[in-house]
Amino acid sequence: MEKNLAENSDSFAPRDETPMPDPKRDGNADAEEPPPPPSNNDEEQTEEEKKEEETAETVDAVESPPPSLEKVSEEIDQFLVETLEEKEKERVSFEIHGYVGRFLDLIEEKLEKCETGEGKAKWEEVIEKDTWLLESVNRISKFKKTLTRTQNHDENETMEEKNEGRDSIENRVGVILQRAMSFLEEDFRLLIEESRTPTELVPDVDPKGKHVERSEQKEDNLDHQQHEESESEMNFPGYTDEAIAYMSKIAGEMLTGGYESECCQVYIVARRTAFEEILQKLGFERISIDDMIQKIQWETLARDMIPAWTNTFRQCTAVYLPGERKLAEAVFSSQPSVAENLFSSLSRGVVIPLLNFAEGAAMTKRAGEKLFKLLDMYETLRDIIPKLDGLFPEESLEELTTEINLAKSRLGEAAISIFCELENSIKSETAKNPVPGGAVHPLTRYIMNYLNIAGDYKETLEQVFKDHSRIEHLDSTSRPFYQENQNQNQNDVVDEKESSTPLSPFTAQVMRVMELLDTSLDGKAKLYRDVALSNFFMMNNGRYILQKIKGSSEMRQVMGDTWCKKKSFELRNYHKNYQRETWNRVLTCLSHEGLSVNGKVQKPVLKERFKGFNALFDEIHRTQSSWVVKDEQLQSELRVSISAVVIPAYRAFMGRFAQYLDAGRQTEKYVKFQPEDIETYIDELFEGKPQQSTGRRKT
Amino acid sequence: MPAPTENNPGSFLGRISIRRNQVMSMDGNHDQELEDLELFQKHVGDRFSELFSSTTEDPSSDALLSIGWLRKLLDELLCCEAEFKAVVMMGRDPSQISKPPLDKLLPELLDRVIKSLDVCNAVTLGLDAVKNLQRLAEIAVSALETRPMGDGQVRRAKKALNLLVTTMIHEDKDCGSTKGTERSRSFGRKGFNGGNKDRGGGSLRALSWTMARNWSASKQIHAMSSNLTAPRGAEATGLASPLYIMSTILVFVMWTLAAAIPCQERNGLSTHLPFQRQLAWAQPMIGLHEKIAEEWKKKEKKGTVGLLEEMQKMEKLGQSLTEFADSFQFPGDNERLDEVKVQVEELADICRKMEEGLEPLQLQIREVFHRLVRTRTEFLHVLDQAGKLSTPTM
Repeated sequence: MEKNLAENSDSFAPRDETPMPDPKRDGNADAEEPPPPPSNNDEEQTEEEKKEEETAETVDAVESPPPSLEKVSEEIDQFLVETLEEKEKERVSFEIHGYVGRFLDLIEEKLEKCETGEGKAKWEEVIEKDTWLLESVNRISKFKKTLTRTQNHDENETMEEKNEGRDSIENRVGVILQRAMSFLEEDFRLLIEESRTPTELVPDVDPKGKHVERSEQKEDNLDHQQHEESESEMNFPGYTDEAIAYMSKIAGEMLTGGYESECCQVYIVARRTAFEEILQKLGFERISIDDMIQKIQWETLARDMIPAWTNTFRQCTAVYLPGERKLAEAVFSSQPSVAENLFSSLSRGVVIPLLNFAEGAAMTKRAGEKLFKLLDMYETLRDIIPKLDGLFPEESLEELTTEINLAKSRLGEAAISIFCELENSIKSETAKNPVPGGAVHPLTRYIMNYLNIAGDYKETLEQVFKDHSRIEHLDSTSRPFYQENQNQNQNDVVDEKESSTPLSPFTAQVMRVMELLDTSLDGKAKLYRDVALSNFFMMNNGRYILQKIKGSSEMRQVMGDTWCKKKSFELRNYHKNYQRETWNRVLTCLSHEGLSVNGKVQKPVLKERFKGFNALFDEIHRTQSSWVVKDEQLQSELRVSISAVVIPAYRAFMGRFAQYLDAGRQTEKYVKFQPEDIETYIDELFEGKPQQSTGRRKT
Repeated sequence: MPAPTENNPGSFLGRISIRRNQVMSMDGNHDQELEDLELFQKHVGDRFSELFSSTTEDPSSDALLSIGWLRKLLDELLCCEAEFKAVVMMGRDPSQISKPPLDKLLPELLDRVIKSLDVCNAVTLGLDAVKNLQRLAEIAVSALETRPMGDGQVRRAKKALNLLVTTMIHEDKDCGSTKGTERSRSFGRKGFNGGNKDRGGGSLRALSWTMARNWSASKQIHAMSSNLTAPRGAEATGLASPLYIMSTILVFVMWTLAAAIPCQERNGLSTHLPFQRQLAWAQPMIGLHEKIAEEWKKKEKKGTVGLLEEMQKMEKLGQSLTEFADSFQFPGDNERLDEVKVQVEELADICRKMEEGLEPLQLQIREVFHRLVRTRTEFLHVLDQAGKLSTPTM
């Protein structure tokens, strides 16, 4: 190496002294050279030049004046231009030895300084450092290519001696290039790993506890817009424009210099680490499907993990993946296909585990309370699917779309199967003891509250039933209830239904559940020996059902007005029946008939009537005050309707016949209630707590 | 049974379903069923026997535990699984599946299915890491292919090879200590050029996503296989038999995948699988298992990376080429260069095989995943119906 330099020193010295401006150069160099010439401003350049000269002097003190890096660089550029034009190939092999040696010396020296100098470079310094490294790498790799190209040409000419020298130059170029590339790789790593400001999370995209405050969903859309607006302000991926620009330059050089693999490897490892960090911050925990199904409590999944999953998925698709794609495109702007490739592999690494979580959730033991969480997850995937086209590059789009759709199907199927379990929970509720006080049956309460929440998810459920109930029909033994119901609809119910359109699968299923519940309640009503109580029970439960349906506009829509009217009609009947069974007997006591014979009031009969009324009313008060109506409106309606029947009748009876009883003891004995008392006692009915006997309290 | 359709699983399935539909209510049912079960056993034996013999008899076909061979193995798994479902589920009265001994055996099988899903996922992640190794090998190939070979390219190759070899050696050690997200992200740190190699050890874990906290491949495989017992007595001829066969296949395939492909926590992967020695259909599987177990024991002793044939070769070539790179001086000895040329070509060949095979293998594992999920759902559906039939309706 040294020898080479010494030999060649004269060949570059005169060239340096007489820097003949090549007329072609100024014109062509700029036009032909793909990389732009140093863009530093002049001040920096001159400073740099001085420094260069100084260092050059200390090393090559013998040679005077030593050409600066800029000078030799210009020579190299010139050389490259000429060989590019394939001019004077003969000259090429001679000229190599001159300024090239000097150029390599200077670069080597600079690299040496980098290596032994500060040791650990900081990323800020990488950017601050002048661009000589990038430019030099560019020059060297081009130069190396030229050497390889011209060498092939020379081989034919059997100039062995010359080739030997060339080989050693080429080897030296290779070593320097490798070293310089290693520096670039390290700079790239520093920038991508350490110049990143840690990601701060944007607030939750998805409102939690959706079925509690479902109305927030509308605000959800607003939320999304806000996100899009704030995306530019958000600090993801967290690199300054300057850093990205510099990374892009490095990547460009590494890729053209044949160091694509090194560059991609650094990029992949760094970005994967960054994404793991984000996923962790978002609270998404990778768990095995086995643990999900067998170890982790559903409460934990429902309370923490599923909301975290939803949030992570939504944020990743709304913010982080698009940001990541932009980053890849910016850093690898010189080769979009590389960017696409890297982003594809990274996004797959993010999305597939998220989908595995969804698959796992869909596989947990089916249970009623899981439906709504699974539907939340279903909605998350459903909302993401239309956006996929813009999200993923073609390479991974098809695979991920298929995967997301599969996971969505699994969730949908699980949801259907859970929803259909309602039928079983009704059928298997076979307790033989009647609910005390004719109160609302726990089953009614459970089913209706369930359907009430289901109403909040009506559109999703409609969609789920429409899209995913096919497997239920795959084999003939499966319940064919949709067709069944549709037929039924056409045959019997159709005249009652306002529209002749067939029921949607979901509506059909809800109808079926309601029918089953009605049947079940009918059976339970029969458990009461008291007909009044039996009717009272039906009225009470029917009222609860109707109120719950009316309480959800979606469910009201599902059940339809006809159903509501029919239900109200039934309720009135139960009410009437109850009233008849209970209060008609009372009214019989207060009947004016049979009391007077030929206009004369029969005192013994009158006494019996009063006695009968007192006993009956006392008994009714005693039993029915322990009956339960939780619905305040129904309670007051009942009391009002009872009062309306009983009090006027009693008042009239009293007004007409009390006078026939002797004042004092007799009246006291037979007239136990004043009309006002009756009202008070009626107001004590249906409180669900047994009252003291009226008689005893009075005394 | 010399059935003409015996090599055609499609028509086998078709035949079963047609016959089931015809004979559902007939008394001859039992004989037909025995025949189906025998046929299933025979097919399983045949399939694995082919997998076994392809590795010993035909040198041109894919070597044991190579990417190509693993893909064949998964193909056979999928075929066996389809036949299994046809035999056990198709057209059958659901109540048969919910009766003893199946009421216990089927949930056990479904549990193995779940554990298999995790193995599939872990192995898929492991293949990501293998892809990264492939990239390192590619760097070495492209560097060492250049002629004339110069110091620069040799250094470049050396850097990549060093990392390749250390990563492969460190896999199991690193997997032993999982502490949250604290992983050595030491790919290609400066240490490699500068010489302090203790810092520069790569790790496969850094090259792929984490699977799940505390998840261990060896524990899962153990849990899948520990309660695997062959049906005895009268059960051996009934539906318990195909369930046992399918369980055995699942355990064997998942064990093989975990042994071949780096995945989380493989330390102490048991080499013992509870096969029933006297069963004819199990013989080829036992043969394969013995071979792979032997390889695994060797691997454990050496502490190297994986049984995947391509990785083993890559490791050997990597070591040899590292030695070359260490001793290389420009312009190099011609004889040595020729030797290296052959090795580089071999390495390039492996890279090509990985390039062509890893992605399809990953996709195939994903297919197995989805198929297993599907099967589990279908079985649960049947069990549901059986449950409904047995619940008294009002």
